Amino acid sequence: MANHVKIALILTVVMVVIGVILAGVYLMTYTPIAKADLNAKFKAIKFVLTDQTTGQLLVNQDQIPETMAELNAKIWKSNSSGVLYSNTKLPGYVLSPAYIFKGKNGSNIYILTGYGIGFGGRVVTVASFIQQKNGGFLESAIDVIDYSTETPGLGAKINDPDVRSRFFDIPNSGLKDGVKVNKDADIFPLPSNYESEIPTYKKEGIVVTSDVMTGATITPRAVANTLNAMYEFLEREVK
Amino acid sequence: MANQNGETSLSVLTSGWIKQNPTFVQVLGLCPVLAVSTNAENALGMGLATLGVLAISNLFISFVRNIIPNEIRIPVYISIIAAFVTMVNLLMHGYTYNLWVSLGIYIPLIVVNCIPLGRAEVFASKHGPWKSFLDGLGMGIGFLGAIMLLGITRELFDAGTIFGYRIWPSAYNVFVVALPPGAFLVIGLYMGLFRYIGKMRSQKKVEGDESK
Repeated sequence: MANHVKIALILTVVMVVIGVILAGVYLMTYTPIAKADLNAKFKAIKFVLTDQTTGQLLVNQDQIPETMAELNAKIWKSNSSGVLYSNTKLPGYVLSPAYIFKGKNGSNIYILTGYGIGFGGRVVTVASFIQQKNGGFLESAIDVIDYSTETPGLGAKINDPDVRSRFFDIPNSGLKDGVKVNKDADIFPLPSNYESEIPTYKKEGIVVTSDVMTGATITPRAVANTLNAMYEFLEREVK
Repeated sequence: MANQNGETSLSVLTSGWIKQNPTFVQVLGLCPVLAVSTNAENALGMGLATLGVLAISNLFISFVRNIIPNEIRIPVYISIIAAFVTMVNLLMHGYTYNLWVSLGIYIPLIVVNCIPLGRAEVFASKHGPWKSFLDGLGMGIGFLGAIMLLGITRELFDAGTIFGYRIWPSAYNVFVVALPPGAFLVIGLYMGLFRYIGKMRSQKKVEGDESK
């Protein structure tokens, strides 16, 4: 009995000491972590507000948020649950808050954050949708801000520039048909002229990823599902 | 200074580099090695994180070895290792965000890597703090060297680059080395090489002894 008590006491002391040390490190890293996460968000918002063809900002420079207050001023929709829209069949989710910016040409630009389920968990994407004069949307650019549960070298390649760029400039017709990776659209193996066909594929919602991301279909599929959930959300809330 | 087993500080530090290399000779903790070694940068980040956890956890385990009853030594060792891995994870999240995102789940998984627990049980629980620290450091360097070797080889053959710097045109890429079968192929070749070096060394030693 005495031995059991001694063991329990030693274990308690060890765990308390470890807990105190970890609490100290947590407090020490709390601000840098919050800053790093916020910087990643600011960077992503600025990135998706940039025209990826010309490199020019889609909004005036003073519209780009640099502080939390400036970012909060751009909130379009938010709720306390943290999820603005979910489609569990895809599955794809739109997270709160959603932002709205005024483009240089006067069009509304919606910045949405959402996630799909990748190989190991959530794949979080920030995307910009430009409202067109006919009421439709153009998905302009994406930035994948959290893919930390994806396999390094395979699924974690999702935010590499050559992979990410495949999700840029998807027109309303493609969004309406539903975004899907080329393997899910039965375009595999890719035809020899596939590179010149990429813009045509995008009009049908087909994103070619198998050439730049072999061995990992689940992660780009998660991004495609996220974009589909985002489009459904915009269709419901804007129109 | 050597102890009863003839272990000097230098021999403890260097045994993990080649002779007892945790990856190529002891074949421990292969899961993160195979998964993360797709490029040199990831390999360096993972190697340094493991090195830090190994050295510091060995040191602390050695400090507490005499007050921890034998029955609960494994949960205590795991808790200490988990605490240091959590610290590394928090620090990387705060200060090296991009690397933290790209290494992903494999940083928390250092807790269940066989090398830290193996060294805690085999070495740190039986030796003083200084030598335990050196053992952790040496094994960490061995692990870092091994994963870097794989990372550099795989990145070179997959993308024609090392740390993003182009070495040869992308037309010569052998994409399979980036995939899991390629990882097994590359690690198998290196294991064979290390075994061959070991064999050559022992042969030379035998020949040297015979000539005396």
